[in-house]
Amino acid sequence: MNSPTALVQLHEISKSFGATKAVKNVSVGLPAAQIIGLVGENGAGKSTLAKMIAGVYSADEGVIEFDGEPVSFKSPYEALNTGVSMMAQEIMLIPDATVEDNIFSGKMPARGMLPDRKKIRSEFEKLNNLTGFALDPDARVSTLRLADQQKVEIMRSISRNTKLIIMDEPSASLTVDEVQRLHHTIKELASKGVTILLISHFLEEVLDITQTVIVMRDGEVVRTGPTNLETVDSLVSGMVGRSLETRYFESQSASNNKVALSVQNVSNSFLTNISFDIHEGEILGLAGLIGSGRTEIARAIYGADRITAGQLKIGGQLCEISSPSTAIKNGIFMVPESRKEEGLFLEASILDNLMISTLGERAKRKFISKSATEKAAVALAEKVDLRYNSIHQSAGSLSGGNQQKILFGRAIEIAPKILIVDEPTRGVDIAAKRAIHEILINLAKQGIAILFISSEIEEVLGVSDRVLVIHRGKVQAEFTTPFDQTNVMAAFFGQTTGENNG
Amino acid sequence: MVEKLRNYGIVAVFATLFIILSFASQSFLSPRNGANILDQSSILIILATTSTLCIIAGIFDLSIAAVGTGSAIMTVHAVNQFGLAGMIGGILFGALLGYITGIAIVSTNVSNFIGTLAASFTYRGLGLILASGGMVTINNPETAETMLGIFEGRLFGLKGAVYVSLTFAIIVGLALSKTVWGKKVYAVGGNAQAAYLAGIRPNRILISVYVVSGIGAGLAGVIYAGRYGTAATNSYSDTAAFTAIAAAVVGGVSVFGGTGAIWRGVLGILTFALIGNGLNLLGVDTTYQLTILGLLIFAAVAADQIFRRKKA
Repeated sequence: MNSPTALVQLHEISKSFGATKAVKNVSVGLPAAQIIGLVGENGAGKSTLAKMIAGVYSADEGVIEFDGEPVSFKSPYEALNTGVSMMAQEIMLIPDATVEDNIFSGKMPARGMLPDRKKIRSEFEKLNNLTGFALDPDARVSTLRLADQQKVEIMRSISRNTKLIIMDEPSASLTVDEVQRLHHTIKELASKGVTILLISHFLEEVLDITQTVIVMRDGEVVRTGPTNLETVDSLVSGMVGRSLETRYFESQSASNNKVALSVQNVSNSFLTNISFDIHEGEILGLAGLIGSGRTEIARAIYGADRITAGQLKIGGQLCEISSPSTAIKNGIFMVPESRKEEGLFLEASILDNLMISTLGERAKRKFISKSATEKAAVALAEKVDLRYNSIHQSAGSLSGGNQQKILFGRAIEIAPKILIVDEPTRGVDIAAKRAIHEILINLAKQGIAILFISSEIEEVLGVSDRVLVIHRGKVQAEFTTPFDQTNVMAAFFGQTTGENNG
Repeated sequence: MVEKLRNYGIVAVFATLFIILSFASQSFLSPRNGANILDQSSILIILATTSTLCIIAGIFDLSIAAVGTGSAIMTVHAVNQFGLAGMIGGILFGALLGYITGIAIVSTNVSNFIGTLAASFTYRGLGLILASGGMVTINNPETAETMLGIFEGRLFGLKGAVYVSLTFAIIVGLALSKTVWGKKVYAVGGNAQAAYLAGIRPNRILISVYVVSGIGAGLAGVIYAGRYGTAATNSYSDTAAFTAIAAAVVGGVSVFGGTGAIWRGVLGILTFALIGNGLNLLGVDTTYQLTILGLLIFAAVAADQIFRRKKA
């Protein structure tokens, strides 16, 4: 795998977080002045690998060579000075400073103590010409669109004589038009000798603009080679290790059951006229791009975001859901999108995390009965196949998959009629993912209506009985089994084809 | 190991200090010295209790000294009006101020730090108005005598105020560790967003915490009025509030919220008292004491940070 023209060469790199081995024994080269795609499922180790190259993490084992020299960056700053910059998934700019000041904030041309404005402007113009971005140097960053903010990040990278730019999901939150312009920029940079490592979930994008592609699965590099030998199918089967058509479970055909929840013309600042029904025992998948409004639908139903128009009917009854606590009282529970930020109390025990929503009902005159809650918590942990040492250990000490299972345990304890799950398998290992799918199917079999949101299209199609594709805050299309993945995918981008939509 | 050190560091520090002082000074172990340490700490035990509660809930209440002062003044007025029952008025006044602070901060989303700082100025000004710019005195000598007896009189060698503050600490400690409300306080302090999505109403919980903080400060005000028979706008200085917060932190309560226990704040205050007492007994110049205390507080916070990074 050692290529003579590699800008970066990794030799047997490994990295663990606690008990999880995120990257295992990876040896791979990044050819100079190329656009290199890095693909893999969530949790395959892409970001970890990239962060080791960029000095955010240091490798536990192995050697990284940059331009033929072994390097061990102790910080992103050291990596930057050597010519490696990484654009994180979130934009890292100073919002109230100008475009120019953001670009040169690290190394500002100066005369003595004062910034050399003339020099800064001329350097900026050089960058503007090089990239063709045509940004206004005096605009404040907070007034720019997301795509333009990314351009500022890119210009900042180039201004530091960067030889390698790592982009982690740069197009995830861009519009189609913006994505095209980003692609143009990336190609332009490569033609000027900059090496680009592009981490992306959008396989079409990777096939379209990269020359080399690296496929990762479970922390290992499955293969690396010229992009023109790959197709979407070949990449996916490399990433997942199984073919696309796999359906995990038999469909329940629950669409004849009673309607558990009816969402009628719901609108707010993110959503326009959302209407759909979920039936008892049905798993309804919500698919669509990140930012399409899937999570916002969940939050609106759960009372976490305000609804400005429309109504909800639960079991035929009109319901006013003004907050998550009223949602729970009305039989709705949501397992939120990011378990660490919105779901769990990481410092608190597994027990407290499982029981927090139902302590009131289990308490005797406001006092908690220790032995009874402990018993109940242990039983719940068993139901969701939680792997733990003590029910009193902190939730933060568990792996991602087990943390997610805690939230399902909480859901079972609450016993809702309608369960919303938002990205329940993000960043969990394959085994935990299977377990979570099984929990979902079992809950559906008990008659619970499940609204299932996931960014992983294979998963949505594999688990749901019916799928709604959300696009720009609207229901774009409805699909029933057997699903046609191409049609579903097209709806992601606002195209509605085929007769399978409703 | 690291986890244990973080959890029980304060116990080790306290025990070590205790043992060293036992050997270094003969008078340290005398019952009178022990009683002294507790007597001096009684007010701070109350304030450290509520500060610990606040920090666990993810907030700071910088207004407690001002509320305590206002309550002391209010207690004098109420006692002059209603006799001994007026002491309840002092506590209720503290609760009311806490409630107002809570409502104001929660409904406007002002940061609790700045919000309670502003409240502190406001309540001190309110005290000034209530005291007509000066000092108020309990005008019935009999009532003053009784109150003095309640808080300064000794039972088994300890002053009444010590029993009052330890009882308060125990009640709040039990409420926090044994009740549903307590669990919700931990949840809100640990992750307010997750608490909200789990069906808790974080604003209600936070307001209740401000109220308890106000009750503690009110109690401190009553004790002040009882001890001195008077109250003025400088009855409690804001240093008392800062000391209470520092005690919680030195006791091992994480400033990030969601973890900790009341006994930690109490042990933190006792550690401060032990250091002061020990330095006195050893004849160390009092001028050095503040510096030593300051360094200790910094070390405690730094240790918490370092342990966190290790874990991450």
